[in-house]
Amino acid sequence: MWRYVKWGLRIVVALAVLLFLHYSLPQHDIVRITETYNRITTVGANAIFYASPDAGTAEGINTRDIRFVATARPNGKVIVYRNEDTGLIWPPYFKYDSSNLQAEASNLRSDSANPQWVSVTHYGWRIPFFSVYPNAVAVKAVDGPEVRIIPWVNIVVLTLLLLAALMVRRMWLQLRERMIDPVAQDLGEAWDEVENRGETAARKARGLLGRLRDWLGTFAGRPRR
Amino acid sequence: MALLRVLVFAFIGLSVVYWLMAIYARSTERERLEKKWDAAPPEGDADRDAFVAAGMAVYEKSLRRKLIWLVYVVPLAVVAVIIYIVNAQ
Repeated sequence: MWRYVKWGLRIVVALAVLLFLHYSLPQHDIVRITETYNRITTVGANAIFYASPDAGTAEGINTRDIRFVATARPNGKVIVYRNEDTGLIWPPYFKYDSSNLQAEASNLRSDSANPQWVSVTHYGWRIPFFSVYPNAVAVKAVDGPEVRIIPWVNIVVLTLLLLAALMVRRMWLQLRERMIDPVAQDLGEAWDEVENRGETAARKARGLLGRLRDWLGTFAGRPRR
Repeated sequence: MALLRVLVFAFIGLSVVYWLMAIYARSTERERLEKKWDAAPPEGDADRDAFVAAGMAVYEKSLRRKLIWLVYVVPLAVVAVIIYIVNAQ
């Protein structure tokens, strides 16, 4: 029973981390830009999937003018990106050039007869039910829909995260070896001593408080009386 | 104002990291000195605690100790580089 709880918790935590990374890390789509537009958008309960209010696009508390980029994929399906500044905290793209990006995207528009394929770097998810859009970070013209893009940023970030995790583990092991274990050992020894001397102490009948004070004294290195 | 708030939070967060790194590095250095003494006690230097204390005093002034300040420098530099790369045309 306890084992299931433990594994359940582990799986939930691992899933949360994976989803978090999948949302935050950049991905590349090869698409054809069909339209770029602005739309007054009221952000409600889905605010977590939009830029924080201190980002440049904020106009009111919940209603702002958001830039969108509508695109078509090579397989004929469509995907719509929002184009918002990312603000200062999360995710840390530090993107402040939404206007420029919108202009670049507009410049790369094309129709299906004469397609100009574009690699859109973005993070986030498209969840139609909650009106959630991925945020485009960069656009770049590419030769065709078959272009292979190596995700350098993801490689670097994930490597650094792994190194950081290993570092935290090493620090924890060092702390345990050097600080927690010795104290625990001292405690164990002190406790043994208490037990050995328990009877004598009782015979001496110095009272519970006196014995307690004596025992506490051993932590400070004072020998027992 | 938002920028100031971010800087304050970043400073607090990085200070925690700095503090943890400093403790960790000090601990590994002390362990290294203790093991060095245990392996081959230097002649005439009979006191292990004194040996370790002297070594730690040298360490506190060393370049390696000062490199931990990079905890503050590197993230800020990385952020600056990201801002440039993302926003440059």
